[in-house]
Amino acid sequence: MKVRTSRFGEVEIDPSRLLVFPHGLLGFARFRTFALLQPDDRGVFYWLQSVEDPELAFVVTDPTAWVSGYQVPIRPGELTELGLEKAEDATIFAIVNRRDGAITANLQGPIVMNAASRTGIQLVLSDRTWSTRHELVRLPGAAAAKTA
Amino acid sequence: MLVLSRHCEEAIMIGDDVEIVVVDIRGDKVRLGVNAPARVAVHRKEIYESIRQENAQAASLHGTLGAIPGTPSLAHQRAAAIQNIAAARISA
Repeated sequence: MKVRTSRFGEVEIDPSRLLVFPHGLLGFARFRTFALLQPDDRGVFYWLQSVEDPELAFVVTDPTAWVSGYQVPIRPGELTELGLEKAEDATIFAIVNRRDGAITANLQGPIVMNAASRTGIQLVLSDRTWSTRHELVRLPGAAAAKTA
Repeated sequence: MLVLSRHCEEAIMIGDDVEIVVVDIRGDKVRLGVNAPARVAVHRKEIYESIRQENAQAASLHGTLGAIPGTPSLAHQRAAAIQNIAAARISA
């Protein structure tokens, strides 16, 4: 199938590769179907592109590549909903943002996926160990200046 | 908005399966217990709101992020796992 995107034009996607978020993402509950797009730069950033809205896409990354010790406490009910037996079987992504000259990741609201069933949910971690704007890396030349 | 008065250890029911119990009252702080099925998400509102706002901002991100110094590389196993989930390659 062809998926229209505002950032990458039309992308050909095998329907079996789609990802389903039964509750959508927080604030975007209407959009349930996404595709993970992989830039050909071998980087650690990916695009989670909505199939239903060409404009809607998020940069996501594997937070464990950046932050050692980052673990998501997935509750039993959430594991059941994802059809996972144990938390270690989950694939975790964090939504990436650009803030004040830095690349940040939302570690308090991680995306947790069952890679086999291709379903995911965005969790809301109730403790404050991890922030919604965890700094991953400062952008070159950004120093401490506010560039937003 | 419906407003109800409750004493400590009293509860309210929302529908058939959500119970909210006043566990403790101390000064201006009320501790609430929530019994709800797993499918019902229960969050502190300010945390929920901050994640919602962060999502909204993140959705406006454009451009590429690949060539930033300091970017780690993915462990081989993780990269393979993500490739399994990815649907297509795009030119960065």
